[in-house]
Amino acid sequence: MTLPRRGLGRIAIGLVATGLVLYPLIGSANAYRETVLIQIFLLAVMAGGWNIISGYTGYVSLGQSAFLGIGAYTVGILSMHVAVSPLLLAPLGGIAAALIAIILGAVIMRTRGHSFVIITIAFLFLMQALALNLPGITGGSNGITLPLPDWSNDTQQLPFYYSLLGLMALSVALSWWIRRSKFGTGLIAIREDEDKAAAIGVRTSVYKILSFTASAVLIGVAGGVYAYFLTFIDPRGMFDILVSVQIVLAVLLGGRGTLWGPVVGAFIILPLSEATNASSQGTHFVLFGGLLMAVVLFLPQGLVPTLNAFWARRRGEPSPRRPARVAAEPVPVAPYEDPHDRDGLPLLELEALVKRFGGVTAVDDCSFEVRRGSITGLIGPNGSGKTTIFNLVSGMARADSGRVLLGGERIDLMVPWERAYLGMGRTFQITRLFRQMTVFENVVAPLPGFSWRQLGADAVSGPEAVRAEELLDFVGMAEFASHQAGHLSFGQQKLVELAQILMLDPSLILLDEPAGGINPTAIDRMTDLIVKLNQRGVTFLIVEHNMPMVLGLCDPVMVLADGRCIAQGHPHEIQANPAVLDAYLGRGWGEATERLEV
Amino acid sequence: MTHLAQTLILGLLIGGVYALMASGLTLIFGVMKVINVAQGALLILAALFTFELWTRTGMDPMVAILVTTPLMFGLGWAIYRLFVARVRNAPISMTVLLTFALAITLEGVMGVVWKNVFRSVTPGYFTRSFHVGGLFIPQAQLYGCGVALLMLGLLFVFLTKTWSGRAIRAASENAQGAQLVGVNVNGVAAMTFAIGVATTGAGGSILSVLYSFFPASHYLWISRLLGIIVLGGMGSLPGAFIAALMLGVAEALTQTYISTRWATVVPYVVILVVLLIRPQGLMGSKLREDVAA
Repeated sequence: MTLPRRGLGRIAIGLVATGLVLYPLIGSANAYRETVLIQIFLLAVMAGGWNIISGYTGYVSLGQSAFLGIGAYTVGILSMHVAVSPLLLAPLGGIAAALIAIILGAVIMRTRGHSFVIITIAFLFLMQALALNLPGITGGSNGITLPLPDWSNDTQQLPFYYSLLGLMALSVALSWWIRRSKFGTGLIAIREDEDKAAAIGVRTSVYKILSFTASAVLIGVAGGVYAYFLTFIDPRGMFDILVSVQIVLAVLLGGRGTLWGPVVGAFIILPLSEATNASSQGTHFVLFGGLLMAVVLFLPQGLVPTLNAFWARRRGEPSPRRPARVAAEPVPVAPYEDPHDRDGLPLLELEALVKRFGGVTAVDDCSFEVRRGSITGLIGPNGSGKTTIFNLVSGMARADSGRVLLGGERIDLMVPWERAYLGMGRTFQITRLFRQMTVFENVVAPLPGFSWRQLGADAVSGPEAVRAEELLDFVGMAEFASHQAGHLSFGQQKLVELAQILMLDPSLILLDEPAGGINPTAIDRMTDLIVKLNQRGVTFLIVEHNMPMVLGLCDPVMVLADGRCIAQGHPHEIQANPAVLDAYLGRGWGEATERLEV
Repeated sequence: MTHLAQTLILGLLIGGVYALMASGLTLIFGVMKVINVAQGALLILAALFTFELWTRTGMDPMVAILVTTPLMFGLGWAIYRLFVARVRNAPISMTVLLTFALAITLEGVMGVVWKNVFRSVTPGYFTRSFHVGGLFIPQAQLYGCGVALLMLGLLFVFLTKTWSGRAIRAASENAQGAQLVGVNVNGVAAMTFAIGVATTGAGGSILSVLYSFFPASHYLWISRLLGIIVLGGMGSLPGAFIAALMLGVAEALTQTYISTRWATVVPYVVILVVLLIRPQGLMGSKLREDVAA
């Protein structure tokens, strides 16, 4: 995006906004068109909410329209008991929606993709059933009739029009704010790779609940306004799956995960719905179902990103934007506390760890220590349990028994981000960068701690930007800062992943095959970086198959076979250890070579 | 006491029918990790086909299964080839949106063709019952459950005794492993989807006698089936069988001792409670998610 087009976009948005604000005031306005606009605003608010949980966070909700009903019923029920204008009660609808989202959030924080979809469907129908089955509170299938608007006839629908227009603006503002905050970066990280996000310090449970709540609250308020607008609500109209379909369709068509996509989508979908309203309900369903299928199959990106890419190609612009470069001497990483001060004491201790997958015992009573300040190697044949041990130590899997201690503190019951806060960083055998993000965004994504204030902070603060630049310089990847991470070569990704976890200021780094599948130059650079970091006091535990690298770099070396640590010691001792040869080459090889040597 | 025994019998009979309907959904999820939200709509479609056969030719709904099953098998195959195969490798969110869209479209088509009116198929035995020791057993329920168990038995034999069936089970346990030993996983996926949809043929025919239905009934049915496979553990056939019986009994108990209208809420409550307390269900395995793939 170049400046002229950005400017043009802003002018266009400003013009449309002004037009919408002035529209009811100019003579040509008519009630029907206003009603359509009111419904467009409503759909845009709901689509904006859905975009937060399903676009940013990647959790698809098919029951988002339930929050409309919750807001509407909250206001409807209250209006029967208190003599306050329902318009003023509408915010309470938002609070009710938010509270229910938090409660449901307790369920979603424990589940992944497909379970969440099912929960949201069940939730929508459960709410409808409750509205039907509790006639004492909700009026049952008879619904609730709200008081008629208490303002004069001249004002007509203006209060509804402006309330919903305001809510739409608020919804866009909320999405904009989320997207540029640390909270938003965390949500995108969850969408891209939830386990990885947890490993770099994103407290995923809180993020997911907050995201669901943020996606519900404005829909609840809008539901309250809408109930008053309709002056009549009933279970089928308010908890309508077709509304969910419209929401999903508006966002997908506009562009999932984009700021303006939901609004653009609402402006297309609702008029279409109005135009076909006269036809039978069946035709309506065929149209929307068919359209949704077509969008999923042929336009999964949505209009806004597709058009953006199209314009970018037309203008021959480089697609990713490069962040302002901080002019800095290549500063090495910050020195860590007490380098080599307590060398020799154990930093990481594994005690009798056991992990079974069904009938396979991947880790079988495994114990060893990693001394502070060491570069400890972990080798063993394929399937000996190396990666599983990494998962147990970093918290991606939970041991069936045994303990893990970091600096004397028991960590095996902690969630991954708590371990990250204690100064543990890990990389992956197959790199797990957030492929849709730029290299720079990847490096600033880690969070070395959690606080509520931090959620709202800018995605990248000044010091963080400087630090990220330094680290990218340090690993030699600064020139790729603005490239999309998924486009890098495998070796480059490994280097970026190292820079990424260095943002956590880790005292212990677990590297899973840092040299696996990359070229010799990159291996040399990686080795060099490990040595430099170690000199500054970082302790390493490295899984690696590249024996020259292990033997040259690591001391001590642990050997794993069948889930146990069968030998440890200086590389040369390991090389000569018959048990190790047995493990690698099969039983009997150790003896055979001994005999040969004799 | 008789009251309770009566309720349990009715619950188990209907549970057997649920088991057949849910088997297709859990089979499809097990092999390709796709939640076929359209399964409920396909069930209603099969019921409507049965209704047509019965009104036009007087064919008994239990016999109509011989027509609806191959019909739904073919439809399942076509749906897979035309739509699902295109998003096989897309994130789960896209596949679920696709099958959801399919459900809505099917609902619309059924609404256009058959209109939104309640129907049911009422053969001669529709209102008759057997009386055994003070208990009455509705004939329709009994035949329905019997036929459902027969179909499940056939499915079981197919999955365990034939090469294709074993390939499906292998792909369900470990797709890459199956591929390595020579299973054409894409072919298996198409086959699984078709078989999964075929179960709605028999399921829909039985449904047409036991319940009155109209196009939008599919939401109720998909919720019920999702409740069953969530409770049983997604992808587990034995789990789905046990969960179906449990849900049948739970609904019957609610109906007898609380009220009919709260019985429809049972599946939703089951889904929420199970996913909160034991997300892997009764017999689902905890997936090993950490394997670098």
